[in-house]
Amino acid sequence: MHYNSRMSATTESLALLSPELLAKLERLELVSRKVFRGRMKGERRSRRKGQSVEFADFRNYVAGDDLRLIDWNLYARLDQLFLKLFQEEEDLHIYPLVDVSESMNFGTPTKLHVAKQLAAALGYVGLCRADRVSVQALGNQGRRAPVLRGRSGLWKMLQYLDSVTSGDNVSLHDAIKDFSLRNSGTGVVILISDLMDKGGYESALRMLVGRRMDVFVMHVLSPEEIDPPLRGDRRLIDAEDGDETEITINAYVLKRYQETLQSFISSVKTFCSRRSIVYLPVRTDQPVDDVMTRYLRQRGVVR
Amino acid sequence: MSWISTLDRWQWALFAAVPIGIILLYFLKLRREPVEIPSTYLWSRTVEDLHVNSLFQRIRRNLLLFLQLLAVALAAFALLRPGIRGQTSAQPRSIFLLDASASMMARDTEGRQNRFETARKMIRDRIDAMDDRETAMLITFSDRAEVLQSFTSDRNRLRAALDQAQVTNRPTDIIGALEAADGLANPRRSSTTGDENDVQVADPQPADLLVYSDGGFRDVEGFDVGNLKPVYRKIGSDQARNLAITAFNADRNVEQAGAAKAFGTINNFGASEETCNVSLYVNGQWRDSASVTLGSGEETGLSFSLADQEDAATLEVRLESSTGGSDQPFEDDLLIDNYAYAGLRPLRTVSVLVITTGNKPLRLGLSTDNAAKICVPTFKSPDYLQTPEYAGRAEAGLDDLIIYDRCRPEALPNTNTFFIGALPSDQWSWASEPGQTILVDVDRTHPMMQYLELFSLLIFQGRAVEGPPGTRELVGGDAGTVLALAPRDGYQDLVLGFELITTGEDGSPQTNTNWYAERSWPVFLLNVLRYLAGAADATSAPSFLPGDTIRLRVESQLESVDIARGNGTPETVPTGASGSVEYVDSDVPGAYKVIANGKLVDLFCINLFGGRESDILPRESFDLGYETVETAGTVETRKEYWRWLLLGMLALIAVEWWLYNRRIA
Repeated sequence: MHYNSRMSATTESLALLSPELLAKLERLELVSRKVFRGRMKGERRSRRKGQSVEFADFRNYVAGDDLRLIDWNLYARLDQLFLKLFQEEEDLHIYPLVDVSESMNFGTPTKLHVAKQLAAALGYVGLCRADRVSVQALGNQGRRAPVLRGRSGLWKMLQYLDSVTSGDNVSLHDAIKDFSLRNSGTGVVILISDLMDKGGYESALRMLVGRRMDVFVMHVLSPEEIDPPLRGDRRLIDAEDGDETEITINAYVLKRYQETLQSFISSVKTFCSRRSIVYLPVRTDQPVDDVMTRYLRQRGVVR
Repeated sequence: MSWISTLDRWQWALFAAVPIGIILLYFLKLRREPVEIPSTYLWSRTVEDLHVNSLFQRIRRNLLLFLQLLAVALAAFALLRPGIRGQTSAQPRSIFLLDASASMMARDTEGRQNRFETARKMIRDRIDAMDDRETAMLITFSDRAEVLQSFTSDRNRLRAALDQAQVTNRPTDIIGALEAADGLANPRRSSTTGDENDVQVADPQPADLLVYSDGGFRDVEGFDVGNLKPVYRKIGSDQARNLAITAFNADRNVEQAGAAKAFGTINNFGASEETCNVSLYVNGQWRDSASVTLGSGEETGLSFSLADQEDAATLEVRLESSTGGSDQPFEDDLLIDNYAYAGLRPLRTVSVLVITTGNKPLRLGLSTDNAAKICVPTFKSPDYLQTPEYAGRAEAGLDDLIIYDRCRPEALPNTNTFFIGALPSDQWSWASEPGQTILVDVDRTHPMMQYLELFSLLIFQGRAVEGPPGTRELVGGDAGTVLALAPRDGYQDLVLGFELITTGEDGSPQTNTNWYAERSWPVFLLNVLRYLAGAADATSAPSFLPGDTIRLRVESQLESVDIARGNGTPETVPTGASGSVEYVDSDVPGAYKVIANGKLVDLFCINLFGGRESDILPRESFDLGYETVETAGTVETRKEYWRWLLLGMLALIAVEWWLYNRRIA
């Protein structure tokens, strides 16, 4: 049951995003519920008033305002100085974070592969919208993740994702802490993980929320996890830490497992909704383009 | 609900090791297949509470183990033989009377088991149903009663005693058994009533008297059941088939040397018509057969004639199948009465006392080869008649025949006599003066006159005789009866009216007739020995019932005789005083030979000639004293559940196997 879908970089990159999907992704936009201050001018409306063509508001002139913004027509009519404010269009920082722990290397296709696909797709959406995109693997491999902007970054992004392998068994907490230290700004964080961390996922998410990130959690679960095809007397070996659990799997135990799984999912759901985190359960047997174009759109993640 | 443990303590201990072994083996054999999964995160949470007391949790959650243990538990229950009594007994004491007579060998109950085994099983069931407070005793009865186990509450002892019980070939007499039961259940007062010092040894206690029988015995009269509560358990089927030889006898024809006849009676005691062949075997060789068809309850007689059977012989008559091949035994429900035995004894040796002054023809005639075989003559002169020895001999009737030649005793002896030229008593008289006698008539119908050609006899001087009433003329002469036979108090006197030898005037013997030179003389003497001396008497071997003590008389000088059934191994039996032999090993029917010094001296037979035993249709009721005991409708047995438990166990094992396979697949 150990899957190691090591393929060549090219086939994998091809497998990550198909041309049809790329075409569809070009029309999508990631919706952030928060408006962040961008570093550079982008295609995204900002809360800041700025220099776009779109009108936002008027306000009274106070000393020190840029005289260029005064609406002289209003001054002529009302003999008062008003500033005409326009919407500022800014870029957005998008961080699709891929959990590369050994537990992700499981299933057909592996959860890691699906996670990479999702990260690539989301990253590409951001690239197309001239957002600042940094697809990162959690753990040490994240340190060499490129920061990309513009559609031309697709190749680099895919190259990076191809180079990412599983087996970086850092806890979620440590990985997010590391990420937070490296990336000081705010933005949209899309955590693609199975959340199966014995240390718990809560502190990691709390940390992201605390840094005022707009957090999305894509909870990747394989069908084998949702409905394990295991029966009888088994010794279960944890792929990450080699922890062994002896268990006799029968209908009763399976029922209990289902209950545990559901309570796990619902606890994650509750945790996320309390903190305005968007929780998105994803099954690996769902096609990625379906997830991107239909599921995420339904959930209002992209538009 | 009661329990009968089928295992001993140590066996239970071994059995207890089985479930422990199953649990141990379960842990030892438990091979958990290693599976790598992404994370045991959820699994460990799933089994979190199972880990608290994992050993018992594992057992609890393992259906297979649970089923195995349940199967073992069921097996243990089955071994305990749980059951309930179908019906409770009224009395705390029971007396089992088990009929062990020959009719109980009938195989007419379920599964062609014989009645005895069926009864034994019924008693065993009853014993199984007993509880600890009840006591019981076991008595078997055939022609005698045997207390196999006196009152006990130990069921194992009762069962052991029951195992010892054996069916016999004997007839039935229930009285002995009833008396034994009565003696134990109704203790008599040991002394007169009202005696204060008389301590009663036992209080009379009521008891169930359970008679397991087919009712093949006489009603019992004059028996007071007292505290006994008789219950009759009828054993046997009303559709039983049985053809039986109820009588078989063989005898020589005294009137015809060498000829013998065998007579048999055959009854059909069954409920349907039967046909069979009846075959006669003489000394084991087939001699004759006859076919017999008898309706229900019918009886027929059969006779077989045998010629040239001078010597001793054993005869056997068998019922043989009329349809199957030859010598196929006839199959009915009771086989023992399909065979019957008879014997023709060897001719007796007779003792003959001859009182004569000298008679050469007589001496010669009694010492021919044939006569010497059966006759031991003693010759005495007439003076002997005066001796006390003779008086005692005559009084006791030690001789089979006394021949008085021209003399006459003062009193007639207690035996048969043959007077030659003399009259026995005053009841006899001469009917003519002495003179030449011509024989006119011979009564050939009489056995003594067989084969005799007398008309060429010359008799110089003879007289006619006249006897008492009842005298039979055997030979008539011109002047009257020459040879006459007359009965006398159970004996017979033969009187010849002429002398064989006369004494001349000079005292020398002279012949009075030419008979001694005739061929008819030794033949006549032989006939006299056979008939009058009784050599041919009682040639039929006596028949006894199985189990009888057989008393025989042989010649007193023999120290021991060998007794053998058929051609079997002989048993040496010492003879007692005056040649009496007692033989007790008489359970098996057959023809028995008594052999001394290599010579056959006697024969006897053992046959089940009891109509009651052969009449195997079971009776519905019998009279016991003043009560009529009817058959009890329901048979009280223990209802056992161990079969169902075993079935349940098998079902559990099947379910377990199915589950196991489903899990492995």
